[in-house]
Amino acid sequence: MVGLSFDNYQRNQYLVNQAGFKAPKATSTGTTIVGCQFKGGVVIAADTRATTGPIVADKNCEKLHRIAPKIWCAGAGTAADTEMVTQLIQSNLELHSMYMNREPRVISAMQMLKQHLFKYQGYVGAYLIVAGVDPTGPHLFSIQAHGSTDIGYYMSLGSGSLAAIAVLERDWKEDLSREEAMKLCATAIQAGIFNDLGSGSNVDLCVMETGKDAQLYRNYLTPNVREQKQKNYRFARGTTAVLSKSVFDLVDVIKEEEIVVGTDAMDVDL
Amino acid sequence: MFLTRSEYDRGVSTFSPEGRLFQVEYSLEAIKLGSTAIGICTSEGVILGVEKRVTSPLLESDSVEKIMEVEKHVGCAMSGLTADARSLIDHARVTSVQHDLYYHEPIGIETLTQSICDLALRFGEGASGEKRLMSRPFGVALLVAGYDDQKGPQLYHAEPSGTFYRYDAKAIGSGSEGAQAELQNEYHKSLTLKDAELLALKVLKQVMEEKLDNKNAQMASVTKEGGFRIYSEEELAEIIEKLKEKEKEEGSDDEKDKAGEEEGEDVD
Amino acid sequence: MQAQNTLLNTEYSTDAQTEPIEHRFNPYQDNGGTILGIAGEDFAVLAGDTRQTVGYSIDSRYEPKVHDVGDNLLLSANGFSADGVQLVKVFQNQLKWYHFDNNKEMAVSSAARLIQHMLYRKRMFPYYVATILAGLDEEGKGAIYSFDPVGSYEREQCRAGGAAASLIMPFLDNQVNFKNQMDPESNGTKRRPLKYLSLEEVIQLVRDAFTSATERHIEVGDGLQILIVTKDGVRSEYFPLKKD
Repeated sequence: MVGLSFDNYQRNQYLVNQAGFKAPKATSTGTTIVGCQFKGGVVIAADTRATTGPIVADKNCEKLHRIAPKIWCAGAGTAADTEMVTQLIQSNLELHSMYMNREPRVISAMQMLKQHLFKYQGYVGAYLIVAGVDPTGPHLFSIQAHGSTDIGYYMSLGSGSLAAIAVLERDWKEDLSREEAMKLCATAIQAGIFNDLGSGSNVDLCVMETGKDAQLYRNYLTPNVREQKQKNYRFARGTTAVLSKSVFDLVDVIKEEEIVVGTDAMDVDL
Repeated sequence: MFLTRSEYDRGVSTFSPEGRLFQVEYSLEAIKLGSTAIGICTSEGVILGVEKRVTSPLLESDSVEKIMEVEKHVGCAMSGLTADARSLIDHARVTSVQHDLYYHEPIGIETLTQSICDLALRFGEGASGEKRLMSRPFGVALLVAGYDDQKGPQLYHAEPSGTFYRYDAKAIGSGSEGAQAELQNEYHKSLTLKDAELLALKVLKQVMEEKLDNKNAQMASVTKEGGFRIYSEEELAEIIEKLKEKEKEEGSDDEKDKAGEEEGEDVD
Repeated sequence: MQAQNTLLNTEYSTDAQTEPIEHRFNPYQDNGGTILGIAGEDFAVLAGDTRQTVGYSIDSRYEPKVHDVGDNLLLSANGFSADGVQLVKVFQNQLKWYHFDNNKEMAVSSAARLIQHMLYRKRMFPYYVATILAGLDEEGKGAIYSFDPVGSYEREQCRAGGAAASLIMPFLDNQVNFKNQMDPESNGTKRRPLKYLSLEEVIQLVRDAFTSATERHIEVGDGLQILIVTKDGVRSEYFPLKKD
């Protein structure tokens, strides 16, 4: 089976419009992601909150995906879409690089992603920041779910993109150092974490530098550690109601008559 | 008072040059024509006693209602144009039921009396654009007796002028002057409810033209425990009997009282 | 209509949406936030977070929504904050008039009945709020009254309202009313007996309820305001919550 199946589209429309069912809610990464170039490399960063509606589904999820060893991607939008599309392109890019016998290029990843997303007319809800280094140098792109792409020195995406871009616009400058770029991205993500309800928890960060292995900083910052609870909620033994009690034998124990071992067995010598 | 007759006694809301509202003053006169009603407030509860003018032997005496219930904990005695009291009591009932509905508690007696007096003034237009409801002031005064948790047993006198005062004991109606004087002599703070029953009847007896019996008088009480309750004719007869015995016991004092009573009537 | 032609001809063909969606003015807004009231033997607490939101944005990190309305009464209306503010203001106005008319403090049971009528008056255009009233009853015992948006009310030992109510309420059932808890002494055969919680325990529960709700609900956070009512009056405490 190739591609997505729309077999149930009409039935589902019926269920929502006529039969009074609610459409299922996909986990959204309602997110802040940023990317920023520096002298000789590129950094991307993301928060770690995943939500379903107003509920936090995951407090420490990973929004930084590896497409190739030195090409990473930060995803916003529908969690499943960002993960699946990234995995798909990861596979295809690896095949492509083996076929071509060349290091994979960031621009290839971007091209494959946008073609895939465009094909699905925005229904694959992945909003991505793709970054990496390849033989042609460091690159930074953003891709919208409908398939359009942008190139830039710094960018942000997701529900916290406005908070993040404010920081980027204020502090970004040309020829940042690696450390400066990391700090800038982390600060931008924190702006999203604290000012956008869709974003929260920690900062994940990935640095890709020419001539070096990409470095993932999982939980680079943890500015939202939960304080100790006031009370201890351990239940005393015996708190759980005993409604009924029954004991089962897991093995049938059959009383057997004593087996008389043949005398020849005794003769065996080792 | 009526020496300077002028056109200023026509409009209900027109002051005379001397600063008087004649229609309101006349309405107070109407009450002085009414049968006597007495209220006595004690620490145990309030007693209301009224004279019923049974003008004909053919009149069914229990159809004359001069004491009415407002709520479980409030009752009213009236004197004057008793028909006017219907609107006042209706209003009081609505107010108290509404209070119970909005606040889930019995209305305060002062609050209720205030609301009665608010209606008493509606022969003119209200300060905040309320419509004029009546063509003239009411011709009836009320003795409002009740109990609330805040102030205990209470007795109020409400007039057509819209003013009201709280009393320990109050008499209204034709015999009010003599009755009020007698109440002032006899009232003291340690009066029990039983004492008050006897005192009310005693005073009524003194000011009534007819001979007091259980058909031409009516009595009610308000207590914390029992709320408002109108006495049955049998109960009333018992109290009258007790009053007679007491008068006999007091003997010589009784004679003096009689004399006083005669004197009072002469003045009237 | 063109969309119709692109649909497959199945038994559900007619059910796919082809009509344009009608848009119209929505007078309501959800401002998030959560409130929580617990009654003790001789006290009651009413707590609320201080975050106010619209969508994914924070309007304020400190907008207190639990009010000391006088007469030893605490009132909070959570949901659409404009309606909540209006409800509290109208109540305070009504309370003032009650004082003029009745020369006494309003009992918590009377306040509850009054609020019911204030809410039901707007039955056809309701105040979009979950309301909780706290105070002491005639015997001096802690009282919590909770209301739905159109005035249905009930006196309870505890109640959570607002965005994270569904997260906090089961916790309260278990920790305040000991639901699903057996007496450990009885080894799981007798229900754990109910008892009044101390003020210290109640404040601990409230703080844990709000830090937990902050963890899992995006509209809850920033600050926790706790108002405590006792016979000596109303006292206020504040604890910071996570700001993400």
